[in-house]
Amino acid sequence: MLHVANLTAQILKNIRFTLREGENLTILGNNGSGKTTLARALCHLLPSQNIFLEGKNMGEIAPHLRSRVINYVPTTLDIYDEYLSVSDYLELNQFESADPRKREEILEALEIEHLKHSPCQNLSSGESSLLLIAGAILHRARYTILDEPTANLDQAKKVKIYRLLKNGSYFQNTIIITHDLNLAYKLGYDVLYLEEGSVRFFGGCGDFFDPSHLEGCFGNAVQNIGGNFVVNYDEVR
Amino acid sequence: MKYVSLILSLAVLIIAPFLGEIAVNIQEIFNPASASSMLFWEIRFPRVIIAFCSGAILALAGLVFQSVFRNPLTTPFTLGVASGATLGSALAIVFFGGILFWQYLLSFFGALLTVAVLFLLSRSLKSAQTGSLLLVGIALSFFYSAALMVLYYLSDFEQSYSIVRFTMGSLNIIGFETVYPILIASLLFLASIHLQRKPLRLLLTSLDFAFLKGVHVSRLIMSLLLLTSLAVAVCVSVVGPIGFVGLIVPHIIKLLYRRSSDTLILPTFFYGGIFLVACDLVARNLGAASDIPIGVVTSFLGGPFFIYLIVQRNKGK
Repeated sequence: MLHVANLTAQILKNIRFTLREGENLTILGNNGSGKTTLARALCHLLPSQNIFLEGKNMGEIAPHLRSRVINYVPTTLDIYDEYLSVSDYLELNQFESADPRKREEILEALEIEHLKHSPCQNLSSGESSLLLIAGAILHRARYTILDEPTANLDQAKKVKIYRLLKNGSYFQNTIIITHDLNLAYKLGYDVLYLEEGSVRFFGGCGDFFDPSHLEGCFGNAVQNIGGNFVVNYDEVR
Repeated sequence: MKYVSLILSLAVLIIAPFLGEIAVNIQEIFNPASASSMLFWEIRFPRVIIAFCSGAILALAGLVFQSVFRNPLTTPFTLGVASGATLGSALAIVFFGGILFWQYLLSFFGALLTVAVLFLLSRSLKSAQTGSLLLVGIALSFFYSAALMVLYYLSDFEQSYSIVRFTMGSLNIIGFETVYPILIASLLFLASIHLQRKPLRLLLTSLDFAFLKGVHVSRLIMSLLLLTSLAVAVCVSVVGPIGFVGLIVPHIIKLLYRRSSDTLILPTFFYGGIFLVACDLVARNLGAASDIPIGVVTSFLGGPFFIYLIVQRNKGK
């Protein structure tokens, strides 16, 4: 159980919610609403005393134990070394064994096995996103926070990642940050909607996507066309 | 390419003690009564060892600093550690008549003081802000340079000359007393960095990534900095500040091997040593009357080559 008790840090104001074992979460919110800041606080990259894991303060958990519990996957891949390869990167995500077959499996599942020996710095932004997801699957923390995992992907890859998340065997509990409302809707996770650092909505997916509620959040910038939520570019305001 | 450079390096290492102003006669080196034997064992041989160990320490120190600060231009020299040691030595030259014991002690003290200042400041800065630490290091270097200018102003002609010679770096060493500390320091340094190669590999991605994989990032960085600075302090107090080795050798090794930095600890150490032995060979054999200061040779060879490297790197992108 992951419990956030009245978290106030940087832009965030009085955030409180609880995520039980087996529950997944989608975090939505406009640019600059504090989604990434919240994610960084959850995994202690932004130290705080308000995050509790099974009743234990996150700040008091030893680093190597904390790493098994929570992992954060940023939107962009940040690698300093220019010769560190895709395979090297994946190996760094493996805790128990450095089994190369597991790495191969994941690379095949994401259709990036041809990049195995490429330096990470040479990847395109879409390939980097896939590598980040592959790394997170190998890391397999109890809670995995994915920060806009599909933002840089083409349509087919978006579907692939959606299926992978739906499958449920790749991750334990997932917290996903996204701007893709259709993805959020199809995943059906509980929704936390942030507005200027505060929780404006926290509840079931169905309630969030209720037409009257949705209009309150996004105006008519979003349209439901045959069960798919699409951006309405003709909208004026 | 790798084998060629390895064979070449070993050749340099073997012939280095024999060449110089006076050539050593190979047949006589095991005859204790001969001048060649004395020259070989008391002067040339310790000199080559010291050159090798200093070059190795400086190169590996550069590799560690570049990895920790995630900046290809950082070395202990840019962080002010070497400048602190240099100032210590200059103080000893002016106020203790250049007695070697004081020179070593104050060099050591200068380097440690710099590390302590960096260490304390880093705790008040945010844990992962190595950029700020680097700026502090640069500010400290300027401060030490200014203090060195004050010392020049206060000292007489002879002392000024000694300071200048020291800041140019020198491998003029007789006997084995100074060999042991630098030999031990270099081996301990190599071993301690080699033991930390796994967390170092995590640092090569990003600090956040290392943190999320359970590394105590600020503690790791501080231990690496402290180890490196101690090794560099030993090196500077023995041979003076020899620039450029720490900057260019890691880059050359990376271009040669094309592997991630954590796998280059041993090659960087080895070729750093070879580089300085080779530079010293040039320094000893070019000047007719006396040796060219080693710092001059490393900078003359290193400077243009480094600019070439930077141009090549940017061409590729």
